[in-house]
Amino acid sequence: MTHTLQFTDLQKGQAFARLPLTITNDDVEAYLESTGESSAAWQELVPPIYLDAVAIATLLSTVAIPKGVMHTGQEHETVRAARIGEPLTLEMRVSGLSERRGAIIAAFEAELTDAADTIVSTMKISVMALPDGVTA
Amino acid sequence: MSAPATCEVSRLIDQPRVDRYAVAARDPNPIHRETPEAYEGPFGRPVAHGMIVLGMVSEAMAQAFGHAWAETGTVKVRWRTPGLTPFTATARADLKKDEDGVATYDVVCTDDRGETLLTGTATVRHR
Repeated sequence: MTHTLQFTDLQKGQAFARLPLTITNDDVEAYLESTGESSAAWQELVPPIYLDAVAIATLLSTVAIPKGVMHTGQEHETVRAARIGEPLTLEMRVSGLSERRGAIIAAFEAELTDAADTIVSTMKISVMALPDGVTA
Repeated sequence: MSAPATCEVSRLIDQPRVDRYAVAARDPNPIHRETPEAYEGPFGRPVAHGMIVLGMVSEAMAQAFGHAWAETGTVKVRWRTPGLTPFTATARADLKKDEDGVATYDVVCTDDRGETLLTGTATVRHR
């Protein structure tokens, strides 16, 4: 996988992704099959946490995440439900970056908007990268 | 209308499930799979994606609120302990307050070893 950014090059406030996105019924079915959740309730709407999974996949494909990085927290706020098949846009940026005892703590915000540029949901991914040689 | 009680969601999280999630969620991080990186990593073995257990919290809320969860839900969690496969995870949401049509729940996910995997809060507008 070729990454656009290195984790160590990230800067607070940096926008690093803006991509069109359409979540298909097959995407939702595969996600629900993997988690074990029934698909009965999700014939029209996208399970909200799947949107977070998509944001994390975008982060992982864009930023080279070093070994030992832990996903420490997740936030999701729905403005309205995302519908299967609707055109959406995902934008991501670095919202926090700090160092504590050699560990790098980073936060990434994701915003999902619809074709009218109205916010559908916002998400925040928090991670911690331990210094080399340190284990959790 | 008062906020409904939620039901627990329990499920076995084994390596095949984690492997399927890695594909479906496009999360190739090797610490989640049977790889040298996982065994040489901070936990000494593969760990389940935290998002799988967060998904169980969302599932519990969706069972209680239906589309209202998808339309208005918020969730904020921190992972406390890694889930070392295989384990049985149980997600629970306990009503904390119900004001102005917004119900707030304390959410927690534990494993069958008695470890707390995740804690946080979830809210939903239900009237």
